Amino acid sequence: MVVVMQERASDAQIQSVIAKLIEMGFDVHRSTGALRTVLGAVGGSRQFDTALLEVLDGVQEVHRITEPYKLASRTFKPDNTVITIGDVRIGGDEVIVMAGPCSAESEEQVETAAAAVRRAGAKVLRGGAFKPRSSPYSFQGLGEEGLRMLRSSADRHNLKLITEVMDISQIDVIERYADILQVGARNMQNFTLLRELGHSKKPVMLKRGISATIEEWLLSAEYILAGGNTNVMLCERGIRTFEGYTRNTLDISAVPVVQKLSHLPVIVDPSHGTGKRDKVAPMARAAVAAGADGLIIEVHCDPDHALSDGAQSMFPSQFDRLMAELRIIAPAIGRSICLEPVTRRGWGV
Amino acid sequence: MKADLDDLRKRIDLLDESLVRLLNSRAACALEIGRLKREMGIAIYQPEREAEVLRNVQRVNNGPLDQDAIKRLFERIIDEARHLERVAEELQLKKEDS
Repeated sequence: MVVVMQERASDAQIQSVIAKLIEMGFDVHRSTGALRTVLGAVGGSRQFDTALLEVLDGVQEVHRITEPYKLASRTFKPDNTVITIGDVRIGGDEVIVMAGPCSAESEEQVETAAAAVRRAGAKVLRGGAFKPRSSPYSFQGLGEEGLRMLRSSADRHNLKLITEVMDISQIDVIERYADILQVGARNMQNFTLLRELGHSKKPVMLKRGISATIEEWLLSAEYILAGGNTNVMLCERGIRTFEGYTRNTLDISAVPVVQKLSHLPVIVDPSHGTGKRDKVAPMARAAVAAGADGLIIEVHCDPDHALSDGAQSMFPSQFDRLMAELRIIAPAIGRSICLEPVTRRGWGV
Repeated sequence: MKADLDDLRKRIDLLDESLVRLLNSRAACALEIGRLKREMGIAIYQPEREAEVLRNVQRVNNGPLDQDAIKRLFERIIDEARHLERVAEELQLKKEDS
């Protein structure tokens, strides 16, 4: 908090404000300027009303500079967080693309999708084994069997693996298979789950809740960070608005906003963000242009027969084309994106 | 030219090392004063004494730093001393609690 004193504030007035701040538990940094004195107040754990200070004699204005979240804030950590998983760095210069099917359905389906996304330049395989579906009658995922399929395909194609954890009871088993644990939009404020993930050694990708403000989202990240897990990335996946044409309204502006407020990497999910295949590529391009640190995209080799989210899954050929476009966009803003597509290497040889 | 620059930079490094030693000796004094204030039941923040410290350092200042610069620098040193005293007091209170 910063307390700006009036130009004509007397020493006695300044001193009584310092005394008040100290009484409130702050450390005070006094800075005497040519015209006015500014008091920086640091620390202090109690919540209080800044109006209590504004009414003191000689005080011009009081600014709260601390956001309600601390560890997630860029004020607390000015440098970008870079999450390193083997040779993959999320939050660095390279835009990391995660892609794969919505759910693991069969060995063959996972394998063809993994091969396709790797060939196009993805670094991380996505795929669900435990699915949070809006309806209890929809396909719920293959569970541990699905995890096993995803892991072995990821390993075969030198991909990292991200998959969703829906409940505390799944953390142990998912940690054994996955490199990144994903918290879905519906669980963004499942605080017991977030707390538990704070103790995990694995990086966590926290999706934005469907009607969550950016502040609420960052407060949720704070839960994980406060537990000691500093490897948290955020994922914008669209929010619910009055617009019904797309499944959600993808909030691209969240990328620069979050990057200003926080040091955590920001990933964008244009698949859930739009819910429609033909809208995925334009929004993915926009996300990279806006400065996203990564993308997470659904790719399915036979989307028309996918057990979930078929309408928003890209065909591998569409994904290939998108990656080629992103290779043109990323350098324009000083980023790279898997410059060496692994096209044909080890393919048919 | 390059040799001069290196010499001056070395000199700055040595001066900084002396400054750190001096600042820590000063901080040790402040801690001791904090302990005495606690025993005597006096508040950590003593505005009159802080003003006296600032007057004293400005009195002996011969530049090239001007009086305002000296004041700003010593305000920060005093801020840190106050912080140190507060942390020490909290530790002491915790000890007494347990």
